[in-house]
Amino acid sequence: MSSDTRPTDAAASVTPVTGPQMTGAQAADRPRPSSGWALMVSELTVLFRRRRTWAMLLALAAVPVLIAVAVRLASSPVAPGRGPPFLDRVAQNGLFVAITAMVVCIPLFLPLTIGVVAGDTIAGEAGLGTLRYLLVAPAGRVRLLIVKYAGAAVFCLAATLTVAVSGAAIGAALFPIGPVTLLSGDTIGVGESVLRSLLIAGYVTVSMLGLSAIGLFISTLTEVPVGAMAATIVVSVVAQVLDALPQLDWLHPWLFSHYWLDFADLLRQPLEWTSFGNNALLQGGYLLVFGALAYGRFVTKDILS
Amino acid sequence: MTLRLRSWLPVAVVPAVVIVGVLTVPLQAGAAVDLPDKTPAQVLALIGDSNVKALSGTIEQTSELGLPALPSTGSGADASASSALELLTGSHTARVYLNGPDNIRVQVMDRLAERDLVRNASDVWMYNSKDNTALHVTLPDTTGMPRPEADGSQQTPAQLAERMLAAIDPSTAVTVGKDTRVAGRTAYELRLTPRTDETLVGEVSIAVDSETGMPLRVEVQARGQSAPAFSLAFSKLSLEAPNADLFDFTPPAGAKVEEKSLPDASAMHDKAMHDMSLTGGKMPATEDEATKLVEQLKDEKLKNGGGMLPGVSVDGTGWASVVELPAGTVPADVLADPLLAQVTESVDGGRLLSTALVNVLVTDDGRVFAGSVPAARLQTAAVGG
Repeated sequence: MSSDTRPTDAAASVTPVTGPQMTGAQAADRPRPSSGWALMVSELTVLFRRRRTWAMLLALAAVPVLIAVAVRLASSPVAPGRGPPFLDRVAQNGLFVAITAMVVCIPLFLPLTIGVVAGDTIAGEAGLGTLRYLLVAPAGRVRLLIVKYAGAAVFCLAATLTVAVSGAAIGAALFPIGPVTLLSGDTIGVGESVLRSLLIAGYVTVSMLGLSAIGLFISTLTEVPVGAMAATIVVSVVAQVLDALPQLDWLHPWLFSHYWLDFADLLRQPLEWTSFGNNALLQGGYLLVFGALAYGRFVTKDILS
Repeated sequence: MTLRLRSWLPVAVVPAVVIVGVLTVPLQAGAAVDLPDKTPAQVLALIGDSNVKALSGTIEQTSELGLPALPSTGSGADASASSALELLTGSHTARVYLNGPDNIRVQVMDRLAERDLVRNASDVWMYNSKDNTALHVTLPDTTGMPRPEADGSQQTPAQLAERMLAAIDPSTAVTVGKDTRVAGRTAYELRLTPRTDETLVGEVSIAVDSETGMPLRVEVQARGQSAPAFSLAFSKLSLEAPNADLFDFTPPAGAKVEEKSLPDASAMHDKAMHDMSLTGGKMPATEDEATKLVEQLKDEKLKNGGGMLPGVSVDGTGWASVVELPAGTVPADVLADPLLAQVTESVDGGRLLSTALVNVLVTDDGRVFAGSVPAARLQTAAVGG
């Protein structure tokens, strides 16, 4: 996963840069900031045209493939209770590949990629010297912030869907597909299990929104994108370490990573929505607080680059 | 400069709003409840009258017993012992579904796993998703066996409540606390406070649903600890009958199924008939009858070669009583378990398992003293006895 920014890719985003003497009117003529939607579309185009984005999505897609191939090639069946959760079910039902991969990706790989995208949002533009062209009016800063955050959120969804879809595909290719056994011991049909996989992808996407907001805020603090990316990833690791310390259990419900693995509640019969609701509330709180912090910092910041 | 200040305003306001929201929403949920006053006896009678047949709900259990955190995996940790202890420490959430006396489903929701108990008439299933195992127990068929008939001599819940109160009054003060709200339902709070200072139990409180009389929360407070040492409470409750599919359990394909059947039903039936014949097929209606029945059963047991646990003696009364098991009652391999060494500490005269509610002293010569009393009291008992 390359954490270095690629000037060639990013420079393509702000065509044509005429130089620091460009006026506000000239800037408005450029395709990017004409309206919120246009800005959004342009942001997404830039994001998904980057080789770095595709490299990260490919790395995520490789996780379920690795798991499936390893289980397929293993000489003896996986004993229940060994390895990551659900690993022993994979050989019986390919649909479990996606779920196992999700469990494996949530603690590190997903936060890693999201840290890169969210940390790059503002600091990346600042580091390339393109930020000031994106900002023509004071209101433009808020809009830019919202668009940047929305872009990071879309990447969260793309990342989780990548894991889910690649997991389902490789599972279907290597293993039999059939009714899925839920945690409760009940079985559901393939159709419903696909629905539940999508629900899980939605849950994990929501889970990552708080971290994205933190990344956005950190990104407004610096002009060195690598620093913002690293700091975001460190924050996610620290939160998970704190969550594992029983001495700090008063703090646990407040950590944005607390409900990350509770997506398993969507694999119970009947569906348990409590953790989905709690998680959404918590991530919403983080989004509000760190969104406000990012706003305060970004609106008052002297943009020199 | 003013622009700067104004721009930072949301930074102060938004977190403040979030924090205020977080703090006030639970307060509103616990807003003051005012129910018509009831005496402890009336609340007890309310429990006795309770007639809840169907429910689905979520139960939260937390323990703050002061036990050291146990390694869930690790060398020497016996899997079954640590899983039993695991239920005593930390917190758990379980969903409970009930429909009539024969349909029960309990789901203990672990992280990325679940343990299920399903009872559908005479079929009982236990399922553990972690190792994908199921246990099937067939209960003896009880239909056609005579049930104790209800007759006029049976007590009303109100009478029973009065009797119970009178029985525990010497050791325990029973009061009705502030009306409260549990799982969105209004509840009376019954508080049992030991009259002695010699016990570790500070107070037991039971929240009783004001409408149905069903206990909604049980909390045990330990002396000198602000958080409840043990708490079991509904966090969600609905009295509608759950979906019938829930009680229909077939073990999933690929699960390891173990079949177990209980001892022969007819033998149990004969035993029950024998016990019942002592009272002429009636449930004991009065205290005298009950005492007589207990005495009779005790005699029978002694005649048949000993009671349940020979040599167990109880020192003291009420909350401060100490139970003594003579040496050899607890198998030596249990005492030698490294897990035991891990949770106990060395004290004068043996090893002590100390929790917020119960102390257990295993003396060097293998006797076991247990009680909800301070450790020093156990040591005196060990030396004195």
